[in-house]
Amino acid sequence: MTAATMLAPLEITLPKAPVGAWFEAAITWVQLTFKPAFDAIGEVIGASVDTLAGLLTEPSAAQLTVLAAAIVAFGLVRRGRPRPAALAVAVWLVLAVAEGAAGVAALAIQNLPAPLFLWAMGLFGADYVDPQLVLALLLLAALVATSLAATRSAAQWRLAGGSSAALLALFVAQHILGVQPALLVMLLFTALALAVAGWRLAVFALLGFLLIISMDKWEAAMSSLALILVATAVAVVISVPIGILAAYNDRASRVVKPVLDFMQTLPAFVYLIPAISFFGVGQVPGIIATVIFAMPPGVRLTELGIRQVDKELIEAGEAFGAPDLQILRRIQLPLALATIMAGVNQVIMLSLSMVVIAGMVGAGGLGNDVYTGIARSDVALGFEGGIAVVVLAIFLDRLTGAVTRFSPAARAQRAAR
Amino acid sequence: MPAVRAEKLYKVFGKRASRAVELLSDGRHRDEIRQLNVTAAVIDVSFEVRAGEIFVVMGLSGSGKSTLIRMLNGLLEPTSGTVEIDGTDITRLSGAALRQVRSRKISMVFQHFALFPHRSVLENAAYGLEVRGVPREERLEKARHSLGLVGLAGWEDRLPQQLSGGMQQRVGLARALAADTDIILMDEAFSALDPLIRRDMQTQLLELQASLGKTIVFITHDLNEAMRLGDRICVLRDGRVAQIGTAEEILNDPANDYVAQFVEDVDRTRVLTASSVMEPPIPVIDPGHGPRTALRTMRENQTVSAFVVRRNRQLVGAVREDAIGEAVRTGATDLAGLVDTAVERVHPDTAVADLFHQAAESPYPLAVVDDDGRLVGVIPRVTLLAALAPPSTESPEPAESPEAPESPEPAESPEDADQATSPPASGALAGSDEGSRQ
Repeated sequence: MTAATMLAPLEITLPKAPVGAWFEAAITWVQLTFKPAFDAIGEVIGASVDTLAGLLTEPSAAQLTVLAAAIVAFGLVRRGRPRPAALAVAVWLVLAVAEGAAGVAALAIQNLPAPLFLWAMGLFGADYVDPQLVLALLLLAALVATSLAATRSAAQWRLAGGSSAALLALFVAQHILGVQPALLVMLLFTALALAVAGWRLAVFALLGFLLIISMDKWEAAMSSLALILVATAVAVVISVPIGILAAYNDRASRVVKPVLDFMQTLPAFVYLIPAISFFGVGQVPGIIATVIFAMPPGVRLTELGIRQVDKELIEAGEAFGAPDLQILRRIQLPLALATIMAGVNQVIMLSLSMVVIAGMVGAGGLGNDVYTGIARSDVALGFEGGIAVVVLAIFLDRLTGAVTRFSPAARAQRAAR
Repeated sequence: MPAVRAEKLYKVFGKRASRAVELLSDGRHRDEIRQLNVTAAVIDVSFEVRAGEIFVVMGLSGSGKSTLIRMLNGLLEPTSGTVEIDGTDITRLSGAALRQVRSRKISMVFQHFALFPHRSVLENAAYGLEVRGVPREERLEKARHSLGLVGLAGWEDRLPQQLSGGMQQRVGLARALAADTDIILMDEAFSALDPLIRRDMQTQLLELQASLGKTIVFITHDLNEAMRLGDRICVLRDGRVAQIGTAEEILNDPANDYVAQFVEDVDRTRVLTASSVMEPPIPVIDPGHGPRTALRTMRENQTVSAFVVRRNRQLVGAVREDAIGEAVRTGATDLAGLVDTAVERVHPDTAVADLFHQAAESPYPLAVVDDDGRLVGVIPRVTLLAALAPPSTESPEPAESPEAPESPEPAESPEDADQATSPPASGALAGSDEGSRQ
């Protein structure tokens, strides 16, 4: 026996596994089979982002009015009057859709005496009546009236009056004084920060967003913000039910966990490729990739939150004869809310980190600036985009963190001290 | 019809549960079936709870009492056996029907309160009615009422975490009361509380029970608590029933060594009542008799004093031998003026602990007198002492209780005693010596 025979290479030939090709085949098959579904999804997501970006950069009077109405309605729901609020919103929804589809409201307005509208048109310098604005104003009026009539809560009265007054102030500022919308939206953000998280974040929001406007990054930032919010909304809508399922069912939990690991560790670029082939270049594949990347903490923390709820409380619900769904809705979800909100916070943060990657597929916004900066070695452009992302990130993080304080479990914990 | 009836209940956790039930029903101990890889929590438990009584299930941890109570409202499904609530076998009911029974017939109070931390005290108390779909205003009104019953009026808007442990459990109790069910299960309800607060809560429960008359199944590991609260007590050991009976039956007539050992440390004076230690009133003297007759009666019975009782057993007073002897010598013809009417009278339900002071002050035995003023028994001091000694079921070591052999039997008339304090214990379905394996 010689050394040569001993060292002869023992190469075992393994069959080549064309995993990539299989994946591509599967993707192609899914794409061909479910094309209408994907088109519809893309349509809806694209429309949502455009609407939201429009609201953030150039809010229309109707949108602002609906926003004010939403705040008043939220107050009504919190003070135990969900039914009249829901009724008013439902009627408005039907009318708004009917107007959008058939111009019902416009027809009605044309048949009303003109002097009813002329004074307002003159005051705000408008050259036509927006039927959606009229509908939104009617909704706001209905909700304010309900607040005054159906609740005895002074806080609700203040909320209704304050929202209406703020709306009027915005109209005056925008249409009579001619302040640019960016500053108004920035003020709204500051007010939101003040209401939810206190004056520190309000000061930060004021300075941060002023910086963004000064850097001339406002439109890009709002476009990114719209993308993040839509991605977060989609991720939450998908991840919370999956988290609930995983919390209820150990087998589902065992299946979901490795899938989540897979989604989080697979490089984001890899699922960007099929996303483009499904939805084409633009915002939609960026959002889809963001949703996939950002969803896992939403699922994980929802599951954790629900599993953490004291077993004796569930047993108490059962002992008094509550059905499972009611236990979920009235005991588990409220008590898990703080943890779920921590998950939502994580989803938002991960979405932000995807902004740049989404920019690569033409999602626009700040990601586009950063990507262009890389491509052209333009340090200034890339840095400004990056700073704007950081401002958005801090603002959103502190805001969602503060919202957690309003959760029922957090209130209970504060009461314990 | 009993409010709750458990019939041959078994709960075995593990895959080969039915095989385990077969072996257990042949009388095997649960340690003997360990190789089946099962845990037998409840073994062949049968009992009936009458409407309006407090039925205490007593056992150490691991005796299966928590498992047992959870089978009574269907939170756990028995491996075999049946549970009847008002005559309905709930082990056959499906989800919705079972939930209906829970929300309308049985409510529950939990060891660690299980209050919803995100709801106010009032909303917690209203929970049972909320589940049942009672309109908001009505259920809050009822919840307010039951919070008032447990002494928490004015605390409605607080969150549970802002309350002390005892107050939290009052909320738990109010929640069960507001649900307005006939049956309340209480799972170690007071075990997490400080001893003093626990005692307050027991008192409050007894007061509430006196006016509300619920059927209560109370789980505890504390024998003193069991003795204090229970109309009847079921002692569980290793998943099996060791004995079912009134507190006094368990104290004075333990079914086996296990129960006997268990009750050894009980403060007997707080459990036993005057009626359970009293002796028959012999002799008694009719107020119409003359001193000579009285003296003869006393000499025949070798006593130095006797109670004077009318034909209808109404207690008049007591007489002493020396005074009667003096009267006979002076030739008096009736007892008038000789009868001492200021004798110490006690009620049959008085705890023995509360008798010592009176017994020490009185020159006569204590007279046990019922609500109508009739003499039903007497308690000489020596009887009171004897009541402190545990019953001698096994040969007691002489050093432990030197007086025991000399003293008379502590309770000669347990039948009378039971009728005075609680219903007779005919419902004791178990009580065999199965649990006495050492």
